[in-house]
Formats: sequence, structure tokens, C-alpha cells
Amino acid sequence: MPQNFRLDKGGLINRNKKISFKFNGKIYFGYEGDTLASALIANGIHLVGRSFKYHRPRGFFGAGVDDPYAMVQLIRDSESIPNVRATEQELFEGLEAKSVNCWPNVNFDIGAINNFLNKFFPAGFYYKTFMWPRSFWYKVYEPIIRKAAGFGVVSTNHDQERYEHKYEYCDLLVTGSGPSGLASAYAAAKNGAKVILAEDKPRFGGSLLTSEVSIGNQSGQEWTENIITELKSMLNVTIKNRSQVFGYYDHNMLVMSERISDHLAKTNKYIPKQRLWYIRAKEVLISSGSIERPLIFGNNDTPGVMLSSAAKEYLKLYGVLVGKKPIVFTNNDSGYETAIEFKKNGIHPIVLDSRKNPNSEIINEAKNQNIDVKFSYVVVAAKGYKKVKSADIAKISEDKKKLGKIENIICDCICVSGFWTPTIHLASQSGNKTKFNENIDAFVPGQSKQNETVLGSAKGIFTLEETLRTSFEKGNELSKKITNKENIIPIPSVVEKKHSIHDKFWCVPLPDSKNYKRFLDFQNDVTVSDVELALREGYRSIEHVKRYTTLGMATDQGKTSNLNGLQLVSDVENKLVPQVGHTTFRPPYTSVSIGSIVGREIGKNSKPTRRSPMHSWHEKNNAVFVDAGIWLRPRYYKQGNEDLFEASKREAKNVRQNVGVCDVTTLGKIDIKGPDSAEFLNRVYTNAWLKLPIGKARYGVMLREDGIVMDDGTTTRISENHYHMTTTTAQAANVLSHLEYYLQLVWPELNVNVVSTTEQWAGAAIAGPKSRQVLQKLFPGLDVSKEGLPFMGYLEGNLFGVNAKIYRISFSGELAYEVNVESDNGNYMWEKIMEIGKEFNIQPYGTEALSTLRIEMGHVAGSELDGRTIPYDNSLEGLVSKKKDFIGKRSLSKISYVASDRQKVVGVVPLDKKTSIPEGSYIVKDPKVNLPIPKLGHISASCWSVEYDNPFSLAIIKDGKNMIGKKLFALSPLKNKIIPVEIVSSHYVDPKGERVRS
Amino acid sequence: MLHIKCPHCGLRSQNEFSYGGDATIKRPELNKEISDKDWDNFVYLRKSPRGKHLELWQHISGCRQWIKVERDTLTHEILKTLKANEEI
Amino acid sequence: MQKYSILNLVKEAFNKHEGWEVAWKDPNPKKEYDVIIIGGGGHGLATAYYLAKEHKITNVAIIEKGWIGGGNVGRNTTIIRSNYMHDENGLFYEKSMKLWRSMSQDLNFNVMFSPRGIINLAHSDAQMNSYSRRGNSMRLNGIDALLLNREELKKIVPMLDFSENVRFPIFGGLMQPSGGTARHDAVAWGYARQADSMGVDIIQHCEVTGFDIVNGKIKGVKTSKGEIKSKKVGLCVAGNTSVLAEMLNMTLPIETHLLQACVSEPIKPILNHVVTFGAGHFYCSQSDKGEMVMGGDLDGYNSYAQRGNLPTLQHVLTEGIAMFPFLSKLKMLRTWGGIMDMSMDGSPIIDKTHIEGLYLNCGWCYGGFKATPASGWTFAHTIAQDRPHELNTGYSLNRFSTGRLIDEKGLGTKTWIS
Repeated sequence: MPQNFRLDKGGLINRNKKISFKFNGKIYFGYEGDTLASALIANGIHLVGRSFKYHRPRGFFGAGVDDPYAMVQLIRDSESIPNVRATEQELFEGLEAKSVNCWPNVNFDIGAINNFLNKFFPAGFYYKTFMWPRSFWYKVYEPIIRKAAGFGVVSTNHDQERYEHKYEYCDLLVTGSGPSGLASAYAAAKNGAKVILAEDKPRFGGSLLTSEVSIGNQSGQEWTENIITELKSMLNVTIKNRSQVFGYYDHNMLVMSERISDHLAKTNKYIPKQRLWYIRAKEVLISSGSIERPLIFGNNDTPGVMLSSAAKEYLKLYGVLVGKKPIVFTNNDSGYETAIEFKKNGIHPIVLDSRKNPNSEIINEAKNQNIDVKFSYVVVAAKGYKKVKSADIAKISEDKKKLGKIENIICDCICVSGFWTPTIHLASQSGNKTKFNENIDAFVPGQSKQNETVLGSAKGIFTLEETLRTSFEKGNELSKKITNKENIIPIPSVVEKKHSIHDKFWCVPLPDSKNYKRFLDFQNDVTVSDVELALREGYRSIEHVKRYTTLGMATDQGKTSNLNGLQLVSDVENKLVPQVGHTTFRPPYTSVSIGSIVGREIGKNSKPTRRSPMHSWHEKNNAVFVDAGIWLRPRYYKQGNEDLFEASKREAKNVRQNVGVCDVTTLGKIDIKGPDSAEFLNRVYTNAWLKLPIGKARYGVMLREDGIVMDDGTTTRISENHYHMTTTTAQAANVLSHLEYYLQLVWPELNVNVVSTTEQWAGAAIAGPKSRQVLQKLFPGLDVSKEGLPFMGYLEGNLFGVNAKIYRISFSGELAYEVNVESDNGNYMWEKIMEIGKEFNIQPYGTEALSTLRIEMGHVAGSELDGRTIPYDNSLEGLVSKKKDFIGKRSLSKISYVASDRQKVVGVVPLDKKTSIPEGSYIVKDPKVNLPIPKLGHISASCWSVEYDNPFSLAIIKDGKNMIGKKLFALSPLKNKIIPVEIVSSHYVDPKGERVRS
Repeated sequence: MLHIKCPHCGLRSQNEFSYGGDATIKRPELNKEISDKDWDNFVYLRKSPRGKHLELWQHISGCRQWIKVERDTLTHEILKTLKANEEI
Repeated sequence: MQKYSILNLVKEAFNKHEGWEVAWKDPNPKKEYDVIIIGGGGHGLATAYYLAKEHKITNVAIIEKGWIGGGNVGRNTTIIRSNYMHDENGLFYEKSMKLWRSMSQDLNFNVMFSPRGIINLAHSDAQMNSYSRRGNSMRLNGIDALLLNREELKKIVPMLDFSENVRFPIFGGLMQPSGGTARHDAVAWGYARQADSMGVDIIQHCEVTGFDIVNGKIKGVKTSKGEIKSKKVGLCVAGNTSVLAEMLNMTLPIETHLLQACVSEPIKPILNHVVTFGAGHFYCSQSDKGEMVMGGDLDGYNSYAQRGNLPTLQHVLTEGIAMFPFLSKLKMLRTWGGIMDMSMDGSPIIDKTHIEGLYLNCGWCYGGFKATPASGWTFAHTIAQDRPHELNTGYSLNRFSTGRLIDEKGLGTKTWIS
């Protein structure tokens, strides 16, 4: 198809490179440098999609991020991407796009029936209906509404693209490369400052690319090119196009999204699709420019109605005509620029200016060029459904309330200009309290909150001369403060046309007996009457209006609609705009892909993985791993066809009968040194620590200040002033911080140092009646006899050439030792243990067997120490000193903590000795009472007792002390189980603790 | 992301620190009589001011020192940072 | 009061919708009320509604410093559930569920309660066990709960990451089929409209500047619109409780923290449940508009700012992609923050205070939205009867001295660790 709306020359596109693309199944051509929007318009295509609620035809309204309409489904590199803005998507060979929110197609959309019924669907109609019958909302209405809503479609397959993050520091971050951005960046760069200049669009220059100005005898475009070339050559400058600074966060942290490959047909294998920059800037220069405001009139959402600045941009950047019979409808001088541009290219526009008798250089130029200019004229309504075909226009009275006789004129596009709205989002996000500037009828930044300085039209400065001058000055001033260098650049002279003042008028009244829809928010279908209705119903705060009507909540976030919405509220409520106030500007300024926010931490790398030095041995020996926090631990070692239950039973049994070895590297280890270490431990743990002899270990429990058990473990006195503490795997980091807190803040007088040694040591627990024999062979020169290394004893030894620390401690309740060697020697140690233990039938055991062993011994662990229990609940009262004070002691006297029927850990055995009790079951007296059934407590841990060959569980139940011997029920409604049980002592195996001391 | 000046290491990003709450709460002395009420106040009650807040942070991925930070809870502006043993 | 119905909608359609009445009036405060509720959020509005409806106390003012519904009722992720382990919570939130089910009809305002089911994912057997503990407790309290295994989950939520390339594989999950979502703003507006119609004065843009207390009894409040008398005053200002407490010389077991949430651009329906990640803090549902509504962790330091920082969202969305890899392809459209009362055991407080006639409703942490009806219902009872209802007896202020804490997560007083 020929590009009927492409001019023969002009634009910044590469006419030597023709590109083919597909839209809604049809093949079209464009040029390199086109956006999808400019290429479609060049082909005369204006209908791109359908609106959210009424499914009205939607075309192009803007030429960049501000466009509220032009969303398509893009197919790129076999991935279908939803909600791509056609005005931003650059054209690449083979691009494929489809219209969204329409069925069966964009030309004939069944959903458009909503448009004919629109009188039934005013703002908030859904709050008033769909309530009967009760279940119908969820079952009938909501599914229909959900299906009708939403735009694009996303497939559930994984994203194959790569996203990266970058952290950067700079002196000045300049957001936008229009005249103010270029001037300030250049001045700062010349002073030697480290500058980052970010431009959202592919091309640098902003408004300089489309305005007829000259800067020091160069055109805007030439000047831009020269400045950019020079900036690129400077080592202290980073300049990035396709990069949107979308958020201004605390302490001058800004975040920028760089689109690296979106404009290409495919992402290069070694290049990310997008890169997210976290930038900490000393100074931030906000040169984000301004966005043209729409004028509001009947059916102003018809495809072919667009911003006059966009029409100019299509002409000047892409050589594309948005129409061949244009109307320019304006309330200020900007519209004339577009009109003149049309005229230059042989098109005869009509200008309707709402002002009565404006006079300025550019208006005169338009008249001199024989452009048909009508003052005090407005567009009353656009005519045409899928494309503008004509316009009803009329003269408007001076008070802007009355329309004259309606005339219909043929046209194919209506370019609107309602003056300019500064883009103040970043400044506002910084915390800057905006203020209303009546001269421009818009909000501008107020006092800087962080180190932000707003420049140019983002600040409401609309002349190039002032913009350049102030921007050069600011760039110089701010950079000089940082670099202490000054390299003054002469400010170039500027030739531009002077503008006359704009008209405050923005919304065309309805003609008599016509009820045209006048749209404020084009994507969400919010009209003037919707806002009026909201106000009539008492939704008067601007936030209420926004939420009730959904004004400004679409994917364009109200870039073109918010201010007109405010104007309307202020008109109806008879309040000044600043009294109405605006809704909060929040990041992101434009939508950012979630993939780029997340970066590389995906899949297996979503969290770090910690492995013990023996990990590869476990792998080789068929270990099945389990996540313990971010550690991976062997859960069991699979032999043959064993499952978890069989394997763990075998491993536990072997510990009870022979000897087993378990990797305990993951336990937290903390080295404690200093003359006051004993005193410190005495304050941290609930039991007494002052008299622990050198070479001895002790079990300890530590509490939080609220009396709840925080952690438990053993601590060993290595030498006079040196202790080795172990913590649970889960609490290791918290315990270290806890100790540091008390040492640094609460008791700084104690001379103690703590440091984590978790990574320094690899640990193996050797447990079972034959463990001493294994130990003897591991350390032939060492006396590891009952006397030489008694229970809770500690020795240092030499394990075939490597230093080892031997602690006689036990979690399994068996005779057991824990051997630690330096991490690098972990695997060596492990292999030695396996080799030597072979004759004693040693087997490795995993966490599941470890659990079984501790449960049947009645040792409490994480499932009992769950952040809700005090020492008493866990039968640890024997460890709570009555004599000394310690962290959390004072809390233990709370009424409910000392109540006689306080919960306590007990053992639970099913009466049939067969049925395992699922963990998380509840113990109740009577399972047959009505709901809610009173609970005595819950099953915290269950195992198959290898000692007695029947199920055994631990439970924490009310008045547990007096429940032993009682027959009760364990209930698991989730698993449909009611199990008669008997309460027994939690110390099911070896209650006297003889084995550990053997 | 906040930018916190560790009095030991200098300006660092917040992700090197972990938060520690109200720094004005003084733990009662050990082995000293204290009423239930005063103890519970220490454990549970927080002023949680809107505005200036003296709080603890630990430079957990740095020097591991607990530090005091005076910060505005409304604006997140940091007014001052102190070593553990310094008073405001 | 004008009825909202399809018939009236049709009727008004032919009247250019000129006949719709105001949803609530905008009165000036009277000199005195029987009850003043401070805070025009969901809980305050619901309290006023139930005071009028259940206790026939209609001479009530709601005082709101901004616009009604502007706090957390309009800033949450709209999730409704009663999947709690502790009895106090389970029974309270189940009362809430009952009120949610009939709310649209009770209020004659479609709050779009959508019981689409909420699923908590588990990533280990240990987590499955702790969910069993919670689920069994729910069932014994008469609340619906199901334990799902991996295969069952695959059928219900197929786009979860069941691939090999995951850090924490999915083992199963706990589901409350009756949990779901509702349209948050509509809840505030619906309560406001009904309360207004029964005579409650909703006074917006009226800031409390002080309290009038004589001999330990409340006499009224001082506001930016003058002094207003009342012998009963209820505080419903979660997020700002500590600020008002300071005016009352009270210190509470509460810290104020910031929670962020975000939505993606709208897409066609893909997710039909509310799903929470088990190996971190992330939850997600899809709104009727098509946006994926996502939230997770606190920013982690005391804050009244209602604005957060990106690294927290990055962290939350990392877990989001770990759960739903397709999220990577969507764009984050809008983010916002709310400030919450984080109580020292993670559970709320609805109670009388040591000041006669002053009642406290606070400490909702990040769970206040789903509690809205039950909170209003029990708070109205507490105010009207001057004693707590049995459903909120557990939410007493003195539980911090008795030790009868309700700590669902077992994290204690470090409120910023979630």
C-alpha cells in the first residue's frame, strides 16, 4: 500500500530504509525512524483500538507518552506484548501489532453496543446496580464485566528477556533533552561536573526538533546536534536516549528506565532488553517540558481529533500528514505553528481561535500566508464515527456561554491546542509543594524540597530565550558549587516569535438540545457529564471525583485529562483551581516493565542459595535436599526405591542402633571474646553462666524482652575469655544483631566482642551408641573416653592433619559429638568420618531423621519455639534462673504466663499405635460438640518413633502438666481425621537422659 | 532508598543497614526493682511521633555498628546521625 | 433515601441522571452529639452506621480531617479473608465475613464483594504443617479452609511457577474459598451514604486539634471547625493513632509504618483468585478493571509519609515474578503507600480507655480493610454499651500487661519485620 499521507520529503526518518510491518493482519510500509503511530498515520490508518467502557473507536491523540488512546498488542520475537503505546513503539522490520479491546475486530466491535447504551452507564453506575440476587455479582455480573475490561492479553509463559540494573552516582542528573536540558547539561559539563542527561525519546532535542526558532544562527535541530555531539565527546557526561526518569525518591535517589532493545526486532543475546538505573544525584535538573492540553467539545474522542503539537510533530519528525483537510482549534498561539506547518506543505488548514481579537507576530504570519483564521470560533462537535468527517463549528459569545449558528464544515482532522501543562511530576514526587500559576492556568513547582531545580516549560517558562538563559545559569551555578570550577559559556542569541496570551476558555458548551459526549479522560471514557454527576452526588473532593469517575486513572495517568478535570470541578463548585487541588503525583511517571524493576533476581536466583562445604558429597550420595531458610540441607539420603518416610526411619534407627553423621554446618556460630564474656552470657541466657569451666559446653535459652523464647543452643568456653556460641540455623543473623545491640547500646561497659563464624566452620554431628568408637579412630591420639571427654565436654584435636574442635553435645539424645573443622576442610572431614565409620555401619542422616530423633526425645525446636512460647511452655523452666536477672526475665511474671493452667509441651500417642497424627492437628476433649470446638492445644511435631515403632507427637496444650495420662482426641479437619490419643510425657525415649551421658 | 551517613563509614545506601526502632527507649537496669507498668511500658509502648524520630539502625552490611539516626517520619529527611554512645 | 436499583438507573437514564441525590451531605458540625467518631475511614464510617442501625444512636458526628475514605480504606489491596489461626482473630474476622456477604444489600450500594478464594502458597513441608495448624484452627472455628497439594494447585492456578527453575518450589497451599476482594472505595461510600441517611453528620475537612477532658471524663473535642461536645468519643484513625494519642497524653503499643502497593496496566482476565507467596511477602489479585493488584512488605522504618521507595517494591515484585513469572512482561502502572498502625503483637485494639467515654479502635497493622464491618460492628457495641462485645474482648489494651497476646506471626514487638 502506498503511504498516502507521507510527504515527499521532510522529517527525520531514514527514507532509504523502508520497513514492512503488519497491523491487524495487513502489511504496511514505513521508514526507519518511524513510530508505529507515525507509520500507521502515513498509511491513513487512524482507528487503532476501542475505549475501555463504551468501546468507542480510538485513534491517535498525541505523539508520545501522553497519548491516552493508542494501545496495541505487539508481537515481537514471538512474544505477544500487551498494552504497547503505538506512539512510543519504534518501527522495526517485521513488527506486528493488533488492536485490543475489540471483538471480533476493531472495525466491527460487538462491545460498541455499550456506546448505544451509554446513557445507562454514567459514572459509578455499577455501584447502583448488579446487587440482586445476592450471589449474582460474583457469579454472573462480575465475570462479564471482567471480560469486557482490561486491554491487552498476556501469555503465561516465562519472560525470555534479560533485564539489568545499574547503580550510578552523579553530580547532576538532567531529565529531558529539550532546550532547558541541553543548556543546563552543557553548562554543567563545561564546569567539569559528572552529568547524566536522560531523554525519553529516541531523538534528543525535545521541542527544538519541531519549533521554528534559531539559536545563534543555527536552527533548533542544528544547535541540538552540535551540543549533543560535544556532550558525547566529554568523559564526564553520560547521555542516554530512550531513557525515562520515572521516579524521584527519597534522598535524591532517582530511577530511570532505559529501553535498550524494545525498538529492535529482537534482543541481542548478550544485551538486556531494558536496564533500570538507580541514580543518586547531587543535583537534579528537571527539564521534562510540558504537554499540550486538549480543548473539550462534543465527540472530541473521535479518531482524527488530536493535539495540535502532535500533528506538528508528525509533520516535522516523520513527514506525515495527520489529515489533508485540517481544522486547528486553539485558544492560544501554539495552534498557529501547526497551521503554518500544514500550509508550508501545501495543505490548507482552517484555524478556529476561541479568542476574540488576538494579535501577535505568528497570527499575522498565518494571515499573511492566507490561512483561513476565524476568531471567536469553536468546534462544537466532531462528526464521523471511526474518523472525523466534518465538524460542527460556531461562533461563541464573549462570555463563552452562548453559541452562534452551527455550521458544518468538512474536515478530516481536528488539531486542538488548549495551551500547555508543565510536566511537574518529578518535582512533585520529590516533595515539592506545587503552586497554581494563573497566568498559565496550570500548576508549577514551588519551593524545592530535595535538590531539585525545575527548568524551562516544566516550570512554566514558555519562551526559548528565557528558558536558555535560566538553564545555562542554573547548570553553571549548581555545577560550580560541586566542582569549584567555572567555565562561563556565552548564552547564544535566540530568534523566536513572541506569543500573545492564551484564552482561559477550555470547554465548549453544549448547543441546545444536543447531548454530545465531551470527553475528559479518553481511555477511561470519562466525560464532562460524569464529573458533573459525581459532584451532584456529593463526591466533591478531587480524590472522590477521580475515584468515582476513574478520571486520570488510565494507563496514561491523566497526562492530558487531569487539569481539565480540575478546571471543571472548579467551575461547577465555584472554587478556584488551587482550592480544588490536584491528586498526588506518584511514581512511575510512565509505566515501567516489572521485569526491569526486578532485574536479574529471577528463577533460581530469586534468592541466594547457601550450601555447606559438604554439599557435593551429599549430592553424589543421593541426598534429597530441603530448604532451610536460604540454606540447602540434606533431608534424607535415598537408597533404592525408598521414600522419605522409609529413608528417614532407616537413618534414625541407625543412629539409635549404630552411628550416624549429620551435616550441621548451617547452625549459626558466634565467637565471643573478652574479659566480660561470662557476665554477658549470664545476662543473655536464662540460666547461670558465671561458673562454666574452660573446656565445657552448656545448653542455653535466650529470650526476647517480652519473655518469649528467641533461640536456644550450646555455648562452649574455649579458653578463659573466649566462648563459642551456636544458634539455630534460622535465628543465626538475628541472634548476632541481638548480641551486638546489647553490647553496643545497653551495656557498652562490658568488654566483649562478638563475630559470626558460621561460614568459618564445617560441622558434622556424629551420633549413636558407636559414635565414641568412630571418634577414637578419628583422633587416635586423643582421650575421648567417658572421662576424657565427658558429656558437655570440649577438646581440640587433629583430624588426620587438620585442626578440629570436638564438642560432646547431642540433639538426638544419643551419645554424640559435634566435630568442627575449618570450612575448606569440611569435605575432607566428612569423607574421613564416612571412611572410618564404615566398620561401625555409619550412615549419613538428614534433617528428617534428625527431627525424628529430637521429637521422640522431647527436645524442643523451631516448631515449639515458634515466637509465641515462654520457657515454661517448653518444659525449660529448669533452665530459668531464679537468682539472677537476664534479658526478658521481668516479663515472665505476667499473669497469664504464671497461670496454673498454662500450656505445656507434652507427648501424644495414638491409642491404636498406628495412626500418625498430622502436624497442625488440634487436641480437644470432645470432637462432637458444635462449632467452634474448644481447643486444648495443637500438635507441633510428629514422627514415627523408631524406638517404639509407633507414631509419636509433641503437642503444646493447656494445663499440659495435668493432662498426662488423659485420653483425648487429635483433630485434623483438613485431613478429615479424628484420632483418639493418650497424652504422655514429652520425654518418650530415655526420659532420664542416660544415653547422652553414657 | 534512604541515604544514611554512618558515623563510622560515611554516606551509604539504606540497603546496607537494618532498622532497629525507637532509640529513646532505655532498657531498665538489671537487678533493679521495677513496677509491672514501667516494665510493660518499656517492652510495648512507643511514642511513634510524626516528625522528628530518634531511631536505631545497624550498619549490618558494613561496620556492624548500631547507630542513632534522627529522621523526620513525615518527610524521611535525616537530620543527624550519631554513634551508639552519643546523645542528641 | 433514594434507592439504588436497575429501575432507578433506567429511569434516571431518561432524565440525564439529573435526579440522583447526594450520597451524603456536607453539614456544619452541631454544638453537641451523643457520639463523635474521629476518623472518616472505613472503620469510622462503619462504626457510625452500626451505632445508628444496631443501637439506634443517630445523633452522631464523624469528623474527618481530609475527605472520607482517603486513608487506608482507599489504599489497600482489597483482600477479604478470615484465615487466622488464633481463635480471637478467627471468630472476629468470620463475623466480618458474614457482614461482607450481605453488605451490598444492607447498604444498597454495590461493594462488589467477590468471594473468589484466597490461596496461601507453601514451599516446604514445614510450611504445609504450619498452614495445617492454621487451617485446622479455622475449620474448628467454623471457617472454610482447604489444604491443596501441588497437583490440585496446578489445576486451579496453572500460571504459578511449577517449573524446575525455581528457588522455592511450590508444595501446596492453604485455601479459603470464601475469601476474596471487594471494591474498597465503595465500602467507605456505602457506609457513608447509609449513615448519613440515618442522621449521622459526616464532617469533612475538620481536623481534631485537642480534647476536652475533665476529671478523667471526655467532654468533647476541639477541631478546626470549633469545639464540639460529646460524652462519648471514638478514635478510628489507624495510621495516625499515635498523633492523637499524644494529644491525649497516652502512649500506645503502636508504631506507624508505611506499606506500599502497586498495580499493573490492565490486561484481560488471567487470575481468578487472590494468591499469596509463601517464601516471602507478596500477594496478588486481578481487579475487575484488569489491573494486577500487588503488595507485600513494609518499607521497614517508622513513617507517616504515604510515599515509599522503589527497592521495597523491587523486593516485593521479585517475589511476584518468583510466583507468577508472567508478571515480568507486564508494566507497573501506579504505586502508592499507606501508613499503618503496627501493634506490638500484630493484632488490633478495640477497647475502652482509662478516660471515661473515650474509646479506642486502632492497631490494624496491614489487615484493617477486611475487618471494616466487624470493627465497626463491635466498636459500635463497645461505645453504645460501654463494654466490649465478646468478639472484641480479646482485643483489649491490657493484653500487653496480662500476656494474653494474639501474635499470629510470632514476631513480637519488632513491628517492622514482616
